[in-house]
Amino acid sequence: MERRNFLKSAGALLAGSVLPISLVEVAFGKSKHENFTFAYISDSHIQQIKGNKFVRNFDRGLVRAVAECNLMDPKPDFVIYGGDLAQLGSKPEIDHGLEIMSACKHKVHYVMGEHDYYLDLGQYWESQLGPQWYSFDHKGVHFVVLNSIIVDEKWTNKWSSGEERMGVMAGLDNPLGSPFMVGAAQRAWLKNDLAKVSKDTPLVVLSHSPLQKIYKGWNFWTDDAEQIQAILKPFKKVNVFYGHVHQIQYNQIGNISFHSVMATAWPWPYPSTYSQAPSQLPKLTVEMNRADPFFERDATGWQFIDVWSGNTSMHFQLPENSPRTVAYNKKHKQPEDTKYQSDRIPPQKHY
Amino acid sequence: MKTFVSALGGVLLTTTTLAPVAAPLGLPEVPVPANNPLTPEKIQLGDKLFHDTRFSATGEVSCATCHDKKKTFTDSPLKVSEGINKLMGTRNAPTVVNAAYMHSMFWDGREPDLEGQSAGPFINPVEMGLPNHEPILKIVRSDAEYTKLFKQAFNKHGKQIKMQHVQQAIASFERTIISGNSPFDQYQYGGDKHAMDEAAVRGFKVFREQGRCISCHTVSQSYALFTDSRFHNLGVGFERINKDVGELTSAFAKAKRNAAEVDVAVLTNKNTSELGRYAVSIQSRDVGSFKTPTLRNVAKTAPYMHDGSLESLLDVVKFYNNGGRVKESDPTFDFQSGGIRPLDLSDEQMDDLVAFMEALTSPEYK
Amino acid sequence: MKSIHHVAIAATMFLVYATSAFADEFTDQDLKNWEQDFQTAVIQGRKLFTDPNLGSNGVVCAQCHPNGANTHPETYPKLQKQLGRVAVMWEMVNWCIRNPLEGKDLSPDSPDMIALQAYITFERRNVKLAPGKH
Repeated sequence: MERRNFLKSAGALLAGSVLPISLVEVAFGKSKHENFTFAYISDSHIQQIKGNKFVRNFDRGLVRAVAECNLMDPKPDFVIYGGDLAQLGSKPEIDHGLEIMSACKHKVHYVMGEHDYYLDLGQYWESQLGPQWYSFDHKGVHFVVLNSIIVDEKWTNKWSSGEERMGVMAGLDNPLGSPFMVGAAQRAWLKNDLAKVSKDTPLVVLSHSPLQKIYKGWNFWTDDAEQIQAILKPFKKVNVFYGHVHQIQYNQIGNISFHSVMATAWPWPYPSTYSQAPSQLPKLTVEMNRADPFFERDATGWQFIDVWSGNTSMHFQLPENSPRTVAYNKKHKQPEDTKYQSDRIPPQKHY
Repeated sequence: MKTFVSALGGVLLTTTTLAPVAAPLGLPEVPVPANNPLTPEKIQLGDKLFHDTRFSATGEVSCATCHDKKKTFTDSPLKVSEGINKLMGTRNAPTVVNAAYMHSMFWDGREPDLEGQSAGPFINPVEMGLPNHEPILKIVRSDAEYTKLFKQAFNKHGKQIKMQHVQQAIASFERTIISGNSPFDQYQYGGDKHAMDEAAVRGFKVFREQGRCISCHTVSQSYALFTDSRFHNLGVGFERINKDVGELTSAFAKAKRNAAEVDVAVLTNKNTSELGRYAVSIQSRDVGSFKTPTLRNVAKTAPYMHDGSLESLLDVVKFYNNGGRVKESDPTFDFQSGGIRPLDLSDEQMDDLVAFMEALTSPEYK
Repeated sequence: MKSIHHVAIAATMFLVYATSAFADEFTDQDLKNWEQDFQTAVIQGRKLFTDPNLGSNGVVCAQCHPNGANTHPETYPKLQKQLGRVAVMWEMVNWCIRNPLEGKDLSPDSPDMIALQAYITFERRNVKLAPGKH
């Protein structure tokens, strides 16, 4: 029957299609390394109301991402958590977030976000999860995790309490905030860490803020981005993954591919929608459409990343929106949306 | 060229090339695909096919068995449908009334349109149980009455008559089963502020606001379909598979790659059935998700949910009020839609919601 | 006590209304006063926009709408799916208060609701009207 044939071809299509959910694939082509995938969850902003009451919507976003990660077939090698597990960095929030994460069947590597940090400068987070910056190797790829949300000490020390400092930093658009940076200490550590790595080893750098300058007003920004990029320049293939922006962004600067990851909590508008200030959203980025912002999970998501020959394919899993894949285009030497780059999503912008 | 149909007080008007006729109060024009324009001949043929029990393995079951006009085109009060030899399926028969507006068919949307939908039940082992569509073609190619009707409707005879024509005729008939003009429609779109009683008016407010019903059961400025044609996991029936969801999804994805029949799998296996939309998309976001049904005439089509597990409208309202749980002590599953949450409705608000839903019954089905 | 209060009010009245002698003209001082009044509402609106007590769960408007972005007041009235009809700005503000903020509606003419709209609209100044646009 016709339907049987249809199912057969659908099956073939499925077998050859990308994996569901957002996944990162690092691939190696003909090299001696094997391809692998990891999953990426970020920006859950677990928010305490009081006692054991938390904002349900943000809980459900993380619960859902973990559940979907556990379904992934084939399984990811590990999971990266991209920062902002908590909303106000408190012990109950971090504990509750980690409790939800504990359902995850894979090893998780954590990145520090500003919402995890500014209450106690990351002390509690560190006691539960270990150092704020570190590196590890996996199947021939060198992974570096940075804390990119540090600001200058004068700002850090000028508040009467951690709560006050956290409160200011928690407001993305709060003019009393301060621009993020990686800072001299970590830059020195990074140089040192990379000194032991051969220049043709693929690098994956994980940070919370973009290691590029997009829009200072909302800290889509890292003040010492150029210095970090210079440290990464000698390497053949570098991929930077960052959270914080709650939206799909990607860019190519020289040898470095930049990819943002989605939030599980809520989406943010593109900075270009703020009509009072200019921003430098990468021209490469095909913006997400927000045609129907009524769903709890609108424009939120999680991702799987395939790593192949040191380049990546990002599979964004967007509940209530079309899934998207941003993959490295070898010919153009840059990441591109596999579907929308040439045929951009019809704009539904409120500019 | 689109054509439109309107069912006004049971009088059927069709146009193929003229301007579209107005739809009943509260509904938009009926969408008709360009490749299957509505004609009176096709509608008449489809009506006959829809009621013909000869297209089943036992000669006892027709489309109308589970979609009975007297029961608002469902098989209420059955929880799940009963096919040949008293075999039970896994899902509650959705009404055909206003199905023409749906963007996809079946609870899991596995068919894009009425044409595609109509071919499935004939060859499902727990519905009409035919081994394939050949017996149907044999009958319609030889039966004198059908020979005449197919000639009139499609100008086809003998071997020229294909399953596609059978499907197009059934779909055409179904596109005439349209009903609006309920007390709600008269209230909202007909300017009659007394068409709904006070409880229903209050219920409409709960429906739009605190109840959050309108999120998926959509209403618009000039019409109301009461469905977003999307898929959501409410938590209904999910306890059956929650523990094994990993194994089930992997196994199903594998089976589907090997061209397993989705239809058969979801209607014959209770657990597979609970995968919902996932069985069609193989996307983890769709695990346990089912299509939003319309709420028009809902008071006449009990029981409710994809598995018929909730008996009354009040049960349904209570289920939502508990955040998608029958009892407050029941667990909330990880795959439940984030939009489902406890609503904190009072008993009166819940009764009002039921009163509102009772105001969605069209005069034809009173 | 009471008399002082009266005097104060009289003085202010004098200040505001002494600036223009006739109703068919206004002065720079008038403009300044009106702008100041508007800014008072904007500042109040910004406060509410970042106030964890506007709803019941501590979520604030600015969490999803930094600088009021993606609120596009210039597109109202328009069809709001979630309200089931063409709606105006304050109705959508209440939708947000009811849903993500899990709070209670503000009355449409309450000073708070007006202030919220003043702030949102101020953040979108100089963007051209686009009623009905999504």
